[in-house]
Amino acid sequence: MGANILVVAEHVDGTPKKSVFELLTVARAIAAPRGGQVHALTMGPGALNAAAEFGAWGAESVYTVEEGFEKYATLALVKAIAGAAQVAEAGVILFSAGSLARDTAGRVATRLGGTLASDCVELSAAASKLALTRPVYAGRVRISAEYSSEAPLIATLRPNAFSIEKPAAPASGTALVLQITPEPEDLRSIVTEVAKPSSTRPELTEASIVVSGGRSLGSAENFKLVYDLADALGAAPGASRAAVDAGYAPYSMQVGQTGKTVNPVLYIAIGISGAIQHLAGMRTSKYIVAINKDPNAAIFKIADYGLAGDMFEIVPALTEEFKRVLKS
Amino acid sequence: MKIAVCLKLVPATTADLRVSPDGQSLQLSGVETIVSPYDEFALEAALKVKESVPGSSVHAISAGPDEALKCLQHAFSVGGDAGTHIKGTFDAHTAARLIAAVLGEIAADVIFCGRQAIDDDQWLVPGALGELLNIPHVTAVSSLNLGPEKTSFECRRRFEGGEQVIQLQLPAIISCDKGLNEPRAPTLKGRLDAKKKQPVVKTAAELGVAEAELAPALTITRYSPPPQKNAGKIISSPPAEAARELVRLLREEAKII
Ligand SMILES: Cc1cc2nc3c(=O)[nH]c(=O)nc-3n(C[C@H](O)[C@H](O)[C@H](O)COP(=O)(O)OP(=O)(O)OC[C@H]3O[C@@H](n4cnc5c(N)ncnc54)[C@H](O)[C@@H]3O)c2cc1C
Ligand SMILES: Nc1ncnc2c1ncn2[C@@H]1O[C@H](COP(=O)(O)O)[C@@H](O)[C@H]1O
Repeated sequence: MGANILVVAEHVDGTPKKSVFELLTVARAIAAPRGGQVHALTMGPGALNAAAEFGAWGAESVYTVEEGFEKYATLALVKAIAGAAQVAEAGVILFSAGSLARDTAGRVATRLGGTLASDCVELSAAASKLALTRPVYAGRVRISAEYSSEAPLIATLRPNAFSIEKPAAPASGTALVLQITPEPEDLRSIVTEVAKPSSTRPELTEASIVVSGGRSLGSAENFKLVYDLADALGAAPGASRAAVDAGYAPYSMQVGQTGKTVNPVLYIAIGISGAIQHLAGMRTSKYIVAINKDPNAAIFKIADYGLAGDMFEIVPALTEEFKRVLKS
Repeated sequence: MKIAVCLKLVPATTADLRVSPDGQSLQLSGVETIVSPYDEFALEAALKVKESVPGSSVHAISAGPDEALKCLQHAFSVGGDAGTHIKGTFDAHTAARLIAAVLGEIAADVIFCGRQAIDDDQWLVPGALGELLNIPHVTAVSSLNLGPEKTSFECRRRFEGGEQVIQLQLPAIISCDKGLNEPRAPTLKGRLDAKKKQPVVKTAAELGVAEAELAPALTITRYSPPPQKNAGKIISSPPAEAARELVRLLREEAKII
């Protein structure tokens, strides 16, 4: 397989997402033993702007496609990613395990005759072999696996699972505009409207801090408790399924087996019992804080810090305390 | 319209999955199994389309060991018309190839899948099927409207914080998210009718995939339980004090704030 690594570098209006730097750090670590180089791909309006700083992060070339990619079209993106992989002679393609990867990585893998590994939490390389670990069964089991095929490995990496390090020496970071134009058949599935998120809060699956509330909050109004604490911390708010089913929070906030998987540095669970399906979505969080009035609640079994008491008293006090210390 | 739906049998969300002490195997026999929850949304979506377009039929496909027949029986009991069981144990890549071979013969106008199977959590098969059949796919839709000409769908899906509206030309693959619909339960009559329907059973070889090609490219070297957390500190002082103590611990011990 090709020795090089291609990083699919996502950006928002020309500003790279934080996960890109995780991918670039991993890419450098696995390129070295293979004697390969790191390449990156940025797509859509602002791609060229986003590409500018990747040289400093170890990318030899940064491929861009902008024209014809104004609208999100799955097959056009697949064409660009598979095309860039071929130009880059990539044996490994790295995505952040987010919406773009969910939509395109499997199709890219199939087009290139390669293999997909979703949600990797470990990835390393020896000269002719890759090793990875990924959670399966909603995080109840992890599998470690080896890969030595000639065909490319397409790995999506769970956000926040890998550290970020800037290299001592930059790479050339040459920007190259790829000559890839979407054809009508690439537009058979095309986004015609986008409703932007109404809040400026961080994306749940990428946030470094998540504050979630459960059914016992009792109403949508009471979820303000969760939002206030989240906002004091610059965190993303989340919810248990029971809270979502009761209509206190939208499904987009649901954490767990049938909701989103989060992997923040800090997860604060407010009035959440800790059902196995909820744990499936957040158990890999680095630190877990639980606030629950039942000292025997299952959530305390995996919490690093547990506050046993009434959330309606504790959470406002906690919000004030965070505001106080974060200001000073 | 010809409608197909892909259903996978998976361990129940509460099943007790045991890793063998040497980490070389996973105890799966005897655990309770269910139709993967997202595939239930796919099946309901298929039935809704069938009901809205007279003369339509729903063909269910499941790849997996003998128990996977359960998926097809379930499909029959809620109104599925035909079924194919691809017999064997396959990884998601191989399953996609085999399902694509069956779909190639059905020539369905629309194929529904779940967004992910909740055992391997790969999010692979819908896009892979789209690629193998050279038709478009959409991932994780939460709302669907069939166009008046019945040659397209308007789909909505949540995408990194926002929501996208997608125009999709048929034939196509649609992967389904929670919130798309409320899957129906079988009626007694449905259960009885299901007994009269028989799925077609195929092997990988019959679908043109040789034994030698079934080995997954990723070789599993170890199964492990998720990293265990040590029981943490419980703080049960009065609210204001507890809040101060927690913030102190997060700053001084965990060093994350
Ligand atoms: C197939 C399937 C999929 C599922 N998927 C998910 C999923 O994705 N996500 C998910 O979360 N769940 C999921 N569930 C549901 C899950 O089993 C639980 O029912 C759910 O997580 C419970 O939510 P909860 O903790 O908010 O509510 P409860 O279990 O009702 O817990 C409420 C908690 O609040 C505490 N409490 C009450 N009052 C106070 C107070 N004043 N102060 C402090 N604490 C208080 C109680 O002690 C209790 O522990 C799924 C279930 C199934 C069967
Ligand atoms: N063995 C299988 N049999 C039938 N359908 C499957 C199988 N594997 C995956 N699928 C379908 O593809 C979807 C995504 O699965 P996966 O890519 O494995 O996460 C599932 O929700 C099913 O609809």
